[in-house]
Amino acid sequence: MRFRPSRLQLALTAILLVAGLLVTWQVRVETSIRAKLRIPSQRLEELAFVLQEQARYRERLEAEIAALREQVERYEEAATRDQGAQRELRRRLEVLRLAAGVEAVRGPGVVVELRYSPRPLEPGDDPNLVLVHYTDLQAVVATLWAAGAEAVAVNGERVVSTTGLSCVGTTILCNARRLAPPYVVVAIGDPDALQAALEAEGGPLAALRAFQFPVRVVKVQEVRVPAYRGGFEFRYARAEK
Amino acid sequence: MWLPLVGLVVGVVLGLLVGVEIPLGFVKYTAIAVLAALDTVLGGLRAQLEGRFDLVVFTSGFVVNTCFAALLTAIGDLLGVDVYLGAVIVFSMRIFNNVSFIRRDLLRGLAREPEPVRPAGDS
Repeated sequence: MRFRPSRLQLALTAILLVAGLLVTWQVRVETSIRAKLRIPSQRLEELAFVLQEQARYRERLEAEIAALREQVERYEEAATRDQGAQRELRRRLEVLRLAAGVEAVRGPGVVVELRYSPRPLEPGDDPNLVLVHYTDLQAVVATLWAAGAEAVAVNGERVVSTTGLSCVGTTILCNARRLAPPYVVVAIGDPDALQAALEAEGGPLAALRAFQFPVRVVKVQEVRVPAYRGGFEFRYARAEK
Repeated sequence: MWLPLVGLVVGVVLGLLVGVEIPLGFVKYTAIAVLAALDTVLGGLRAQLEGRFDLVVFTSGFVVNTCFAALLTAIGDLLGVDVYLGAVIVFSMRIFNNVSFIRRDLLRGLAREPEPVRPAGDS
């Protein structure tokens, strides 16, 4: 029997071999599951359900992320468009601020100095003959504008679109401020053109010089024109649009 | 009787040597199958001790019980019923039963007492 095993023994051996194999595999798998996942296999199903749920939840969140990212992109696009518009607006605003005179500016131009005539008044003389009138100043300023001046100030008072020169006694009113002689007009523009316009025959200075007013025109490479310090108040004028 | 034991040892060693990856989803089924196999082997041992071992019954019982246990568990999963719990309980009870009978048979064998007649019917 020892050297001639029966069929029964062979069959039993095969079955026990299979049984041993099965048990060992099962134990090994279970052990590895415990070692890797640290959970018994009975809970696998439950955990798989939780996992699936979480995976679905994650998918939803990912879709949400994608949607939000798209939204951000749209916003960014809009923002860049806005930035372009903003830059354009800022540029235009700068030009308008320069034009309105609310910003101090510097550049080449001329300085004009007007003084009262030193000629002594004789009895019976008209004192107007030795005084610089606001009209003289106005003529100078208008001539400067006409000659292409970009910024003009009189005694530190910026001449803006609403500025009017008027006469109060022996002083000149400009931007609701009294100006006293000597009157210094500074203008930024092409110095040669400005000077030529002022000195032209029949120009504003020619008449003053004829009456021996000390008048000086100096071309400068760099002159500063201060900003308008007053406010703008439009009570009647309304923008059309 | 040493040859089947050698088979068992060879099976265990083979299981240790040959790597196997049972998919996680099938671990439950194989567990039930192993339980059924264990029960069948113990039942066979008991039958042997009681002198009414039948190879055909034993072999068919081993194969069918093992496969059916796994199949039943799979069906239970399909139906959403934890049938494997029933299989676990039944096989566990049978294993305990078999072990206790084996123990008694062995004790009786040691005491050289006459064997009482017991209804047959073991797989």
